[in-house]
Amino acid sequence: MSSDQDHLKETDTEARFEFKKEENAAVRSGKGLTEEVIRMISDDKDEPDWMLERRLRALEQYHNMPMPSDWPGMPDLSELDVEEIIPYIRPDVDKREGVDDWTELPDEIKDTFDKLGIPEAEKNALSGVGAQYESEVVYQNMQEQWEEKGVIFCNMDEAVREHPELVKEHFMTTCVPPSDNKFAALHGAVWSGGSFVYVPEDVTVEMPVQAYFRMNSEGMGQFEHTLIIAEEGSEVHYIEGCSAPKYGTHNLHSGGVEVFVGEDAHVQYSTVQNWSKNTFNLNTKRAICEENGTMEWVSGSMGSKVTMLYPCTILKGRGSTDTHITIALAGEGQDIDTGAKVYHNAPETSSTIESKSISKDGGRTNYRGLVHIADGAENSSTAVECDALMFDNESTSDTMPYMEIEESKVDVAHEATVGKIGDEDIFYLQSRGLDDDDAKKMIVAGFIEPITEELPIEYAVELNRLIELEMEGSLG
Amino acid sequence: MSAGTQVHANLTEEQVREISGDLDEPEWLLETRLEALAALEELDMPDVIRTPGRDWTNLHDLDFESLVDPLNAAENKDQVGPEEAEVLSWSDAVQEHEDLLKEHFGSIVDPQENYLTALSTALFSTGTVVYVPEGVDAEDVAIRTEQNSRSLFNYTLVVTEESSSVTILERQSTGAEQDEQYYSGVVEVAAGENSYVQYGSLQNLSEEAYNFTVKRGVADTYATIDWIEGNLGTQLTKTEVSTTLSGDSSETQIVGAFYGHNDQHFDLDAKVWHRAEHTTADLVTRGVTDDVARSVYEGVQDVGADAWDTSSYQRENTLMLSDESEADASPKLIINNHDTEASHSATVGQIDAEDLFYMTSRGVDPRSARNMLVEGFFVPVLEEIDVDELRDDLEGLIGARLRQRD
Repeated sequence: MSSDQDHLKETDTEARFEFKKEENAAVRSGKGLTEEVIRMISDDKDEPDWMLERRLRALEQYHNMPMPSDWPGMPDLSELDVEEIIPYIRPDVDKREGVDDWTELPDEIKDTFDKLGIPEAEKNALSGVGAQYESEVVYQNMQEQWEEKGVIFCNMDEAVREHPELVKEHFMTTCVPPSDNKFAALHGAVWSGGSFVYVPEDVTVEMPVQAYFRMNSEGMGQFEHTLIIAEEGSEVHYIEGCSAPKYGTHNLHSGGVEVFVGEDAHVQYSTVQNWSKNTFNLNTKRAICEENGTMEWVSGSMGSKVTMLYPCTILKGRGSTDTHITIALAGEGQDIDTGAKVYHNAPETSSTIESKSISKDGGRTNYRGLVHIADGAENSSTAVECDALMFDNESTSDTMPYMEIEESKVDVAHEATVGKIGDEDIFYLQSRGLDDDDAKKMIVAGFIEPITEELPIEYAVELNRLIELEMEGSLG
Repeated sequence: MSAGTQVHANLTEEQVREISGDLDEPEWLLETRLEALAALEELDMPDVIRTPGRDWTNLHDLDFESLVDPLNAAENKDQVGPEEAEVLSWSDAVQEHEDLLKEHFGSIVDPQENYLTALSTALFSTGTVVYVPEGVDAEDVAIRTEQNSRSLFNYTLVVTEESSSVTILERQSTGAEQDEQYYSGVVEVAAGENSYVQYGSLQNLSEEAYNFTVKRGVADTYATIDWIEGNLGTQLTKTEVSTTLSGDSSETQIVGAFYGHNDQHFDLDAKVWHRAEHTTADLVTRGVTDDVARSVYEGVQDVGADAWDTSSYQRENTLMLSDESEADASPKLIINNHDTEASHSATVGQIDAEDLFYMTSRGVDPRSARNMLVEGFFVPVLEEIDVDELRDDLEGLIGARLRQRD
């Protein structure tokens, strides 16, 4: 563990997350959402007609759908003006499909990711990394041994060209159709970049595959699409990290994630999100699980101005399993509205949701969850546990679970607790010589441990470090 | 969507004037009624739980045109209480306690909160006022309402002065059976400083009936309001029981029990608003759904920014006896003060197979074993009921419904 921590100690974490780069774009779309902008994006990517058609159809759906308005206690989206967002910026990279070797990247982009510690993380984990800068994936690497087994890990734009049949079948069709919600429709129209992961039958990818997304330009939108297809009996762990520096105007991040978990397959999707505090983070993430498949979501949400994100699993096959582990931290001016959705649509399915949240300095966290057990999903079980920790009286913490149970042979349990940080705990630690700040940090570290222990070490360290920075109030 | 137009067609100002005139009401009360009538057009139905693409309870399909018959209200009513407290019919209360009504009527449940409260305010023709003077301990106030007409609008006001206490038991049932009926009840409880109110209610209307009820209390400093809410009758019930803890160190308990069978639909809300320091709330509801019945439970614990040192607990458990029944639960925590201990939990499940096996292996036949387990399931709720009569009645009705099965 020490060596992993060491390399992170050496980097200046605060600088890593707060520096800005001069924007250096090769192609930049106009503001707003018009057919012209959509055609320009598609044209710049040299896309086949079918993809352009899907984009235009999604655009139409976007314009026809109202903004969500009647959710109880929903975050304020009034400051979000999609028409002012620049949906597409292609950085000036020679090879559009990305480069294979880190050293081939332009210095400025390399520098950005260096500061974020991406190459180090890659070196340490000896795993594949895809990195997205603005709207494009600029760096992609995959270990040879996986490639030989037929594993595909590439950016989405490349996947559209190289693996059209797989993409055509799975891209925003059954999992996240654009009609799902307004921001899924928006995403379908302007999506750009992202990762494509395909794991063939019975292949186990032992190392996590990782992608890192970074927004650098002011007033831009990032709409990366992640499509993961895990065939029967396969196993893969995908990790994404996200960050953006702080700018005056509002950024929009509206990603789409679709995961297909085949029979007996196992997919873990881990994400640590630390968008700048002017970002609206409105994502749609969903997995469909076939028989005996397992889906695990592990997520940490600490950045952004507003997050509305409810990773969803559809337990479609008998005996499939879902696990959600989420942690949210909201500081000053932040509204982190996040949770989990699980649809039990087959017998003997099970789900576990464990949600932790911390609110401080006037931040608001909300657990908003939906567990639906369909008629016929016999012997299914679900357990939901939410714990909220509040630091001060300016902060707010809400819990809004919804449970719809249509089947009697089930076992459903939901529990939630809210409390302030324990005075006695702090007193105990202080009496052992820790100062107030360190005592609080230690209590928080203990509180979030169930999350960090699910993550590979370098992400766990980063998560802990981010939370420490938040606690010190030195970030954003 | 506003539902206002659907009933307005057969409702007139003259009808409202006639109801008010029959009760010899003062002008201000008539005005309140007429304003509520006029507001119907703009008001919407009460909130129901909504998730994308779905309303959990559909109130818009209620056919008020045929259900509401404003000038033909009929009921059998008992309003009895001990000598120390005043238990008055609405017409007596209008004569004897106008000041009290002026102060409290509509102050806790806004007459124009939604379409159904406004309808109730415009058309209520029967009611009870319970007034407990300072320092008086009043037990066994009984309000029994038997509905004998197509529609009935009932209003209840409870006012307790400083350091008094009262126990009220209310029952609603159906007399002469009609095809379909509509019962609407509004209850306002103003609990003065250091007073105690226990308000038990047992709704056993006909299974053809529709029911809309709001029971809401405001607790002053050191006051306690305890609610017991039993629901067995109707085909559709939409009910809210809530307490605003507005005085320091005030407390509330909301105990609920329901049993839905056939195609009954219960939409039950239990809500507490912590608005002062050192307040405590305990919400506990248990219910059964059988056949194709459906229960929708929404529990809200709202802790305001000034509610320091709050304790708030909520439990909701549903037992499903059939595969076709449905149970929805949404226990919400809304916390704006960090000096709070709050928790909620909800479970849905069926009768434990091991428990059943254990009992049958001890020689109990499966049917009796199941009935005993269901009755046992209600025990934690029944135990919270202090009034013996209410507990026995509720237990009896649950037992009778269980034995009616199979």
